Amino acid sequence: MTTALTLDGVRKLYGAKAAVDSVSLTLEAGKITCLLGPSGCGKSTLLRLIAGLEPLDGGTVATDRTLSGPTFHAPPEQRDIGFVFQDYALFPHMSVEDNVAFGLKRLSPAERQKRALLQLQRVHLADRAKAFPQALSGGEQQRIALARALAREPALVLLDEPFSGLDAHLKAGVRDATLEALRQAGTAALIVTHDAEEALMMADHLALMDQGKILQTGTPQDCYWHPVSLAAARLLGPANSIPVMVKDGIAETGLGKLDAEGLADGPAIAILRPEALRIGLGGVNAVVTSNRFAGAESWIGLRIESANHFDLHARMPTLGSPPIGSPLSVILDPSACIVTPA
Amino acid sequence: MTNLAVPRPHDRPAGPSPLKIGAWLAAGLAILPLLAIVWLALTRPSATAMPLSLILQYGVTTAALGGLTAVAVTVLGTSAAWLVVMYRFPGRSLFGWALALPLAAPAFALAYGYADLLDVAGPIRTALRASFGSDFWPMEIRSLPGAAFILSMAFYPYVYLTARSAFISQSVCALEASRTLGSTPWETLTRVALPLARPAIIAGTALALMEVFADYGAVSFLGVQTLTTGVVRAWSVYGAPGSAARLSLLLLAVAAVLLWLERSGRQDQSFGANSARWRPLEPQPLQGWASWGASLFCLSLISFGLLIPAGWLSYRALSAAPEADRLIQAALTSFSLGGVGALVTVALSALIAFGAPHSHRIKRLASLGYATPGAVMAVGLLAPASLIWQGAGSEGSQTVALALSLLILAYAARLMASALGPIEAGLTRVTPSMDRASRTLGETEAGTLRRVHVPIAKGALLTATLLVFVDVLKELPATLILRPFNFDTLAVLADRYASDERLAQAAWPTLLIVLTASLPIIILSRKIMQSRPGE
Repeated sequence: MTTALTLDGVRKLYGAKAAVDSVSLTLEAGKITCLLGPSGCGKSTLLRLIAGLEPLDGGTVATDRTLSGPTFHAPPEQRDIGFVFQDYALFPHMSVEDNVAFGLKRLSPAERQKRALLQLQRVHLADRAKAFPQALSGGEQQRIALARALAREPALVLLDEPFSGLDAHLKAGVRDATLEALRQAGTAALIVTHDAEEALMMADHLALMDQGKILQTGTPQDCYWHPVSLAAARLLGPANSIPVMVKDGIAETGLGKLDAEGLADGPAIAILRPEALRIGLGGVNAVVTSNRFAGAESWIGLRIESANHFDLHARMPTLGSPPIGSPLSVILDPSACIVTPA
Repeated sequence: MTNLAVPRPHDRPAGPSPLKIGAWLAAGLAILPLLAIVWLALTRPSATAMPLSLILQYGVTTAALGGLTAVAVTVLGTSAAWLVVMYRFPGRSLFGWALALPLAAPAFALAYGYADLLDVAGPIRTALRASFGSDFWPMEIRSLPGAAFILSMAFYPYVYLTARSAFISQSVCALEASRTLGSTPWETLTRVALPLARPAIIAGTALALMEVFADYGAVSFLGVQTLTTGVVRAWSVYGAPGSAARLSLLLLAVAAVLLWLERSGRQDQSFGANSARWRPLEPQPLQGWASWGASLFCLSLISFGLLIPAGWLSYRALSAAPEADRLIQAALTSFSLGGVGALVTVALSALIAFGAPHSHRIKRLASLGYATPGAVMAVGLLAPASLIWQGAGSEGSQTVALALSLLILAYAARLMASALGPIEAGLTRVTPSMDRASRTLGETEAGTLRRVHVPIAKGALLTATLLVFVDVLKELPATLILRPFNFDTLAVLADRYASDERLAQAAWPTLLIVLTASLPIIILSRKIMQSRPGE
């Protein structure tokens, strides 16, 4: 594997508060990494640090050379890192073609135009080359912004919430077009988003971020099924948590035993994805406390009737889902559960 | 936690960029004369001191003049703006921009016109005596109320323009809501529209008052002794820069208060304007005599503010052949000073706008210069000026060049803020991420300026240049004090003729100023008419 970017202990302070706190991260060449976190967690700041738009307060940013370090800061124009801004930042006084060609000033005019058109073809907007950005739809503007960032053939492109400004029905299409263009360009990409589904669907690698820190990195599947903490689990989707006691590598949840190998004896937390709870014979008795319709599947609230009552959320197919108040027997699928230190 | 004290020698974003340093230097130029004033006021004992009673008298006159004018410009400017924005009546679209036209005339042009027209020997009072046997004209124009009338007519457009843009930015939704809640149109005006527009109206009135207190040409011709005429007299009659500086300090204090008023008005201005539910106002047609009344009101504002005095001056001018050589020489001087002054001022303002787009401190410094009367600015530059005078004698091209540089500096210090306004407005189209996009696409800071900021703000830079050009053309007191010997601009020439009571001759340069300034003013006010909030 070749690395496109290495972050080592990157820090950024705003006053006394660390917006980005000792972040270390490696991006693989040609792969798409999604940086997922709630708004205000520092993920956009991290992007700006990588692009060199703000100086670091500690750590290093390096590609094949050091870009930011304790005594060095390469200005953004010398970094060869593309950036797609959340508001796209297209230049209103230039045509679409001139926008895309903006960063190609070292090429001859003919070459510049050729390259810009090629990029526009890749995002299927070659016919809008002479239009001005204001005349384009939001989805088209997003694709122009991407084409502009890719025109310089950077080794890495950063995308800050690239789909947040788009209507829901447009998102899927623009997302596919973006993925296609990124794959075609073969560049590494770091996409910042707060949308878990978006991150899971797009990413080769995920990085989960909260309060300035990276919580977990890995493949989407790995992060979803094996979260390192409750916070990490909840970034990717709803999760039930049950306080448990670990003894000899086994945790007892009240719904069944879970493997807790490697954890010390004592209190821990069992994390159960909603889909881990199923109706089945021979399980634990429960009562349905709520049933919220959400299309193909419904959210079912369950009260487990054991020695100490507790409430859990399950997700079940809407057709045939149990009505409120009905008693049922719940079994646990251990493959959708994990035990983490308390 | 404190900042890590790691030295970062190559860390460009951490240190101030060259542009930012340039912005600070530009703002520094604006307050340099003001610092000089404080220094003069504190260090120069006045051997030939102006009597305190005289200073008090100046102060009282100035306050009275300011009070009267403030009321008049507020009422006239706001009413005109409300009519033009809310109603349809004959000539409305013409009045929309023409109501700003009096800005093309310097206040002294109105003073010359009215003083001559309403003089005891003037045509109106002569006609009155001929018809009725006695002259019962109620108001002496060479008086405090007369000066207040003239300055109100000259400066009401400041309130008209700010009130108009405030009314336009008000969403019709707020006004319709008021109507559905049972308010009559009049109640809607007083309970919703006026309170919403109040900050803008206050800002406009503050701007008009800055001009009133800065005026020298009109009040001195009318024989009304204000603090500003006091400053000029202290310098020219008493030869006491210390006294002039101390009077200037008073004016500076007033300027600071006005500036604060204007700023606090502008800070609140956005409320109501950025509502997502903004819908343009649909003007209502006025019926019958009301519609003709509205037309008459607007027409009389333009007439009293420009047409009558300029018309009378034209009539007077035609009665005497101009001293062509002096006039042409003065016109060339005015245009070249205006051109150079405008370019220097806009360049400095652009430096501030580009280099320190988010620094309110720098902008406040620049606007302090704007609030400072030209006479005060000139007195602040007198100390270095007199050094040059003494150092090189009164002749020699070097001295002239240095003196002219000082004059340009005075213009720039005074007008930087007025150029800054449109430039900043133009730059709102450059979002911070456009800046960053350019940098990540391989452009340097200077390259970004050249390829993104300047082209986007091109129109705004031109607007700013026109604004400053017109203001330099109309400027009198600073030019009067700082100009090299025998170096007359059109305004100075007019003032010299007028003080010799050669009014027909004074009319020529005055009208040349009005004509030249009219074109930019028409262009600018039509442009303001076409703009809408959010553009």
